[in-house]
Amino acid sequence: MRGNEATRQQRTGLALVSPALGVVALFFILPMLMSVVLAFRGKNGGLTFEHMAKALDLYQNDLLFTVAITVLSTVGIAICAILIASYLTLGGSERTRTALRWLYRWPLFIPFIVTGQVMRTFLAKNGLLNHVLIGGGLIDPGSAQSLLDWRGIVIALVWKQVPFVTLLLAGAMASVDSQHIEAARNLGARRWQVLVDIVLPQVRGTLLVGLVLSFVTMLSVLSVPMMINPNSPTLITVDIAYRINTHGDYAVANALCLLSLLLAAGGAALYLRHAVAKAVPAA
Amino acid sequence: MQTSPFLRIESLTAAYGATRVLDRVDLDVRRGELVALLGSSGCGKTTLLRSIAGFVTPESGRIHIGERDITALAPEHRGTAMMFQSYALWPHMSVAQNIGYGLRMRGWKKEAIAGRVGEMLTLLQLEGYGPRPVTQLSGGQRQRVALGRALAVSPEVLLLDEPMSNLDYKVRVELRHELRALQQRIGITAVYVTHDREEALALADRIAVLNAGRVEQYGTPEELFHQPASAFVAGFMGADNAIDVVPAANGGWQAANGASGGGSMRAYFRSEAAQLLGQSPAGPGALVLSGTVAQMLYVGHGYRYRIRLPASEVWVHAPERIDQGTPASVAVPQEALLLFPLHEQRAA
Repeated sequence: MRGNEATRQQRTGLALVSPALGVVALFFILPMLMSVVLAFRGKNGGLTFEHMAKALDLYQNDLLFTVAITVLSTVGIAICAILIASYLTLGGSERTRTALRWLYRWPLFIPFIVTGQVMRTFLAKNGLLNHVLIGGGLIDPGSAQSLLDWRGIVIALVWKQVPFVTLLLAGAMASVDSQHIEAARNLGARRWQVLVDIVLPQVRGTLLVGLVLSFVTMLSVLSVPMMINPNSPTLITVDIAYRINTHGDYAVANALCLLSLLLAAGGAALYLRHAVAKAVPAA
Repeated sequence: MQTSPFLRIESLTAAYGATRVLDRVDLDVRRGELVALLGSSGCGKTTLLRSIAGFVTPESGRIHIGERDITALAPEHRGTAMMFQSYALWPHMSVAQNIGYGLRMRGWKKEAIAGRVGEMLTLLQLEGYGPRPVTQLSGGQRQRVALGRALAVSPEVLLLDEPMSNLDYKVRVELRHELRALQQRIGITAVYVTHDREEALALADRIAVLNAGRVEQYGTPEELFHQPASAFVAGFMGADNAIDVVPAANGGWQAANGASGGGSMRAYFRSEAAQLLGQSPAGPGALVLSGTVAQMLYVGHGYRYRIRLPASEVWVHAPERIDQGTPASVAVPQEALLLFPLHEQRAA
């Protein structure tokens, strides 16, 4: 009797989650599998590595460029987020902290495409940044140069993603026991030592999660490289769009998607390894 | 022990926003002395300790250690080490890393740090615990590690913020003796914040009782216990009975019973100091109160009785059992009475 009861409960449970599972399977897993399959299917329907070879041949540089840009941006995000979050939680005057707390979130509410557009006018040769630098006498007009290349992409991605990581990190830092910080100060640690020795090790997990999620997000951004630097070398999202829009070449696009997916999987692996490492001592 | 003050606090005033927490506090601590700051929560004792450590910026007043004025110094330059109520051990570090952190900050070499950490582990009977994560320690062990971390840097003044409050009673009493023995052995100057009278009496060379941001009385445990300077201190030191009295014809005192007049005072006494009168007569000059037993509590080493008097009630300790409702007379020897003027408010 009891066994029947348990089976019935299991069935009810399964029935309850099946619509959600169905949606996930139909709209997420299936298209992804299709993309993988189509990346290896030849014109006659057989298995081929032709598309993958072509993708690697044509876009090898862009792949490396993508890895370099996203890794560089991730590092930039980490540095900025740590600086802002630690300033928010550890020090500075109350007034500047309030101002910073209010300011730093804005990019969260600005879409990537708008970010790209804003950066275009800001970083161009005759853009606002150079005007300010020339006006301030920091550079002479002759040496003003456009930053609308790889540097522009990095600046735009960092600008857009820093608030997200800062938001997570500042929350985690605020929850570090203030006596932990005082104990270190009391034993002779300066502010930056408190940050490096006491606070960061305790929020490492949160920082890593924020960075991995940003890394994956940045891999999928199309609008920013489109707006700032669509010419090679550029991010592979631009190449994927180009293969499809200009050539109708879904096969190579799928191969590029798969490569992009592998990069993201690298990030996910890092994320999972941390999550597992964290779960083991608790168990 | 030197007689000249080592840690000197002069007219220290501190506030959180509009709330004044410390009001012109003066305190002298001699070298090698353990001074307890005793008071109920919100009296300012922790703020005073944190001012010495440098975590609270006072509005006015000075703090000196030896010849140095440390009032405006950053916490790391004061030569004080604090032990926190929550211990504040860093969970991502081992026992040895926790204890050695202050030395690392002072630029010690690795071998020197390891040597000093070893000394600390021996001193605190934690040999072999060095590589363990602090998260695997018991409450008592954590407390020792926190103490070791503070002592490792050889501070001039050790500051302890209710270090026993998170421990079981039994562990607390044990560690109390250990802490006192250790403090005397290494001869360190220490300031110890507590709200536990028993702990302060057992540990301290001198006790400062704080009330509403002021030092109500500062003296040896015996002085505070037997000669409280105010009704507040008397109450805090366990004289929990208060009764209004007027001078009696025999030169002693008698209950005022609502009457007020010239010479009336408020008398405080401990329930252990009073006697329940059976056959034996009261001593000469004793305050005698008559009433009935209103409540009886067994407390292990005898009974505690609430005696209802015409105008008030008192608590009395007695070894024998007496039923509720029995008429009873209470005698308090004259020397056990702590007398204060009526207008003084008792708050404990």
